Amino acid sequence: MADKKGKYPTEPLKCWDKAKKIREDYYKDYASAHEKGGLRWAGGAWTFDAIPAGLGDDVHPITSEPYGASCAFNKEFSLKCLEATEKAGYARDLCAYMRNYWGSILLNQFAFGGPFPKPDFLWQDHICCSHAKWYQVVSELEGGIPHFSIDVSVGPEHEINANKIDYIVGQMHDGIEFLEKTTGRKYQDNLLIKAVKNTCRSTSTWAKICELNKTVPAPLDEKSMYSLYVLGTLQKSSQEVADFYEEVYAEVRDRVARGISATPNERCRVMSDTQPPWGFLSVFRYLEKFGTVSIGSLYTFGLIGAWEVAPDGEWVHRKTPMEQGVSINDRDKALRVLTEWELHKPEWQHFYSPHLKSDMMIRIAKQWKLNGVMLHYNRGCEGLSLGIAENRLALLKAGYPVMVFEGNMGDEREFDMTRTMSRIDSFMETLQMKKEFE
Amino acid sequence: MITAGIDMGAKNIKVVLLEDGKKIRARAQELGGTDTRGATEKAFNAALFQAGLKMADVSHVTSTGAGRANAPYAQDNVTEVGAAARGAVFVHPATRTVIDIGAEEGKTLRCDAAGKVIDFAVNEKCAAGAGSFMESMARALEVKLEQLGPLAMKSTNSIPMNAQCAVFAESEVVTLVHQKHSKEDIARAVHDAIADRITSMVRKVGFENDVVLIGGVAKNPAFVETMKRNLETDVLVLEEPEYVGALGAALVAAENAGVK
Amino acid sequence: MKEIDVFREWKNKRHDYARDWQKRTGGKVMGYFCTYVPEEILYAAGVLPVRVLGSHEPQNVTEPHIFAMFCPFCRDCLAQGLKGRYKYLDGLMIAQSCLHIRQAYTSWIKHVPVPFSYYLCMPHKVQSKRAYPYLRGELEEFKKAVEKWTGKEITDKALKEAIAVYNENRRLMRELYDTRKQAEPPISGEEVMEISMAQQMTDKKEHNEALRKLLSALPKRKRDRPAGTRLMIIGSEDDDIDFLHMVESLNKEQYAATFVVDEHCTGSRYFWNDVPEDKDLLMAIARRYIERPPCPTKDWEERKRIPHIMKLAKDFGVAGAIIMQQKFCDPHELDNVVIRKELESKGLKTLFLEFDVTVPIGQFRIRVEAFLETIKQDDLF
Repeated sequence: MADKKGKYPTEPLKCWDKAKKIREDYYKDYASAHEKGGLRWAGGAWTFDAIPAGLGDDVHPITSEPYGASCAFNKEFSLKCLEATEKAGYARDLCAYMRNYWGSILLNQFAFGGPFPKPDFLWQDHICCSHAKWYQVVSELEGGIPHFSIDVSVGPEHEINANKIDYIVGQMHDGIEFLEKTTGRKYQDNLLIKAVKNTCRSTSTWAKICELNKTVPAPLDEKSMYSLYVLGTLQKSSQEVADFYEEVYAEVRDRVARGISATPNERCRVMSDTQPPWGFLSVFRYLEKFGTVSIGSLYTFGLIGAWEVAPDGEWVHRKTPMEQGVSINDRDKALRVLTEWELHKPEWQHFYSPHLKSDMMIRIAKQWKLNGVMLHYNRGCEGLSLGIAENRLALLKAGYPVMVFEGNMGDEREFDMTRTMSRIDSFMETLQMKKEFE
Repeated sequence: MITAGIDMGAKNIKVVLLEDGKKIRARAQELGGTDTRGATEKAFNAALFQAGLKMADVSHVTSTGAGRANAPYAQDNVTEVGAAARGAVFVHPATRTVIDIGAEEGKTLRCDAAGKVIDFAVNEKCAAGAGSFMESMARALEVKLEQLGPLAMKSTNSIPMNAQCAVFAESEVVTLVHQKHSKEDIARAVHDAIADRITSMVRKVGFENDVVLIGGVAKNPAFVETMKRNLETDVLVLEEPEYVGALGAALVAAENAGVK
Repeated sequence: MKEIDVFREWKNKRHDYARDWQKRTGGKVMGYFCTYVPEEILYAAGVLPVRVLGSHEPQNVTEPHIFAMFCPFCRDCLAQGLKGRYKYLDGLMIAQSCLHIRQAYTSWIKHVPVPFSYYLCMPHKVQSKRAYPYLRGELEEFKKAVEKWTGKEITDKALKEAIAVYNENRRLMRELYDTRKQAEPPISGEEVMEISMAQQMTDKKEHNEALRKLLSALPKRKRDRPAGTRLMIIGSEDDDIDFLHMVESLNKEQYAATFVVDEHCTGSRYFWNDVPEDKDLLMAIARRYIERPPCPTKDWEERKRIPHIMKLAKDFGVAGAIIMQQKFCDPHELDNVVIRKELESKGLKTLFLEFDVTVPIGQFRIRVEAFLETIKQDDLF
């Protein structure tokens, strides 16, 4: 039932509980995989999880960055993890997710209870400096775990060519050999093909959901979107996630049709960037006091979302291969389709030039009708903070007010809540938004 | 109509009384200490005494500064950035860039002719650019804080000092002392290092003339000289630089009270 | 010693050298970041590759462009561009390795106009056989771009000659390093660092000539102090001459020490291995860059740096290693824990120091002296 406390009616999301359950089950399945003779593996959120899916239906992943964020939610636990990692000799300026994750292993404490379940193999992608090295250290900390990482650093999407795709696909073929050898299982191409199609479907649908936030008022606010987009970072290749996103899309479309807003008094729209400081998501609620809503960010839209530029210049969801009439009949084709699909990932482009990201951010600012931008200069992630200073300059040049706040997505010692709130107060003042709502 | 601005700074509480949004009637300050409420009362009363006024004469009070949310007497508040812009433009109408270096924070902002903020930056984690750093450097050199600037002005030799990290900088000073560099040259190196950090911050937001300096550190002549050199433009120190924030708050109070 | 002074001159007057080279030869100068740049292709095109390094001066110009959490080196490099010190460059390029330095490149080309720029997607998974055809393909594209820029074809003959010059340069440097295996090395670590820095900024033919002269003069040279404790540098990008100078000029009765070898970005990793024989010249070049001692960003899934470091330590009779960590450099921070464990397990002491654009030499002296004392104490037992 819609609530009308302010200018717009609001309503809690119906899909909330299901999202929670999917996430909880995911970590349970990982921890208990061996009990039913299944396998479990670890890798990054960008890893090609569709590929190990070819080993069977009882193969459960855990992805590193979301796990690191889960640790960060619990400030006390996170601090113990970070200190354990520092005690082991690792520097404080390393990726905060990685330090939380390693700390969890060193303490042998799983963020969801019990000891840290050791993965059977490590399956990772590599684009930021830390990716493969993260798991190199994990393997060493756990006394040696078979490890295979795929280098995807082949350049921006507009320069993709056959040579680059062959490099990645070749590694994937080698990876499948590695998986068969390591697990002793026979690889099933039909499962791979299914998983590839799910990947395309879930990432395309997530983008469709984000597109709906072009509406005024926005049906979703960024804080809520974090609880939804996370599922794609856990397992974009799973049927459950792809199906769930279609449910979410239907619900959000319905909200748009009925004029349901994420916040009761939206009058100022902003976007953020890089991961938020996970232990301090209340800053998003604070914005509501000014009638301000964050409608998302390139991070929330493009970390897993699949996008393309339509002929009219609008940024829209990428049409899946299935929608484009592409058929996938064998292993090699599946791997090629997957590679090409992922190489268009928005959050992979700035690794080659921050100016590509600036263009995308300016496009979002225009098409999602923004009044300003809030950039999290995130000390915890070099990959996503890469070039952020240039993004700021470009946004300012394009006429958008920009606010900057320093922090750390996973190390709460490096985030100053009071100072940040004060920064927000000053920024809202420049946007002429008074703090007048509850 | 009399309005008041209270700047609840990190170190000092400053009060300004303003008549009809135009004429400054009084300025007073008190060390914040552990009893900020008591200190604010003292400063407010001192200002009233100076102006020959009573509390009842004051129509509207606006606070600013780090502790503005808990300021006694204040009916509303304005951020330090907003107050700095308003106050600076009032004192010097050609102001378009304000550099405010206080005890714990350094900030820079660009504004328009009406004192409206266009963009701003505040010194971030990795910057040794504030008054408290000056104080610890004065201690390391065993001189009074007010002597640090004049000492630096006497230097004839520039020694590079990095001061990216305040802790690194302190150990660099210790090294320079042991290397038998003169106090004058070391003092100048300290100023150069701090000015570098501030300049970096100013470049982030960009600057447009006239550039003005406010806050406690503006009273340091060596720092002002170095900033002029770095920015290659004139940098004006506003009259009573540490009161500009409170003045800005008093101006906002006048606006909120309906003074045209 | 004048045979060494020439290298110091080149390194100190690097911009004069490059401008003079342009005048002398009429050729183009390409500035580059990162030692994975395939210089042979540039050289074959008549281009002088010069590595962009910082100037170790505090600066206030990069803050709007690069967030302060990134390494001081990348900011120092960008500052050189923003301050107009490299105005003479005809081109600027980078070969992909670490994240931080990429920002120096991308901010530079946006704010400081350069006639030609190139981002080479050097693969990270050098341990995969797939890297070979991939890199060869990327080099093919790169070669075409250089040909378009210079306006002339890069012939196989030119490539062969470039490879020969570069391999000769590497051979001569290894010969120089070999002299440091002696009980009393004729050359200091500081001097070698100057020579290897100069190597990255000069025409290799000229560097070869200077090296030959130096190598023939070295046997007659005796340093005016004993070698003392034999040290190794392990590091990120380091060109901290002042630090090496301080260590090698400590009181020679109590703290004599010499850097006899290194494994770091601006040192031996740059020149260690040759371009192998291969009829396919581009593949030969690809092989060289794939198989060279890796930057930590490319050292996975196995660790190849560790056996390489251990071999160097053994071959050069090293007693202790100083880890020169560039502040905020993640890839090296990821490796150093394991490297230190490995070295110490083999009885080699390590000292970890963090470097910025300028360093507290006084504090470092105290720590180095203490470090040298602990090594000597061990020797007594």
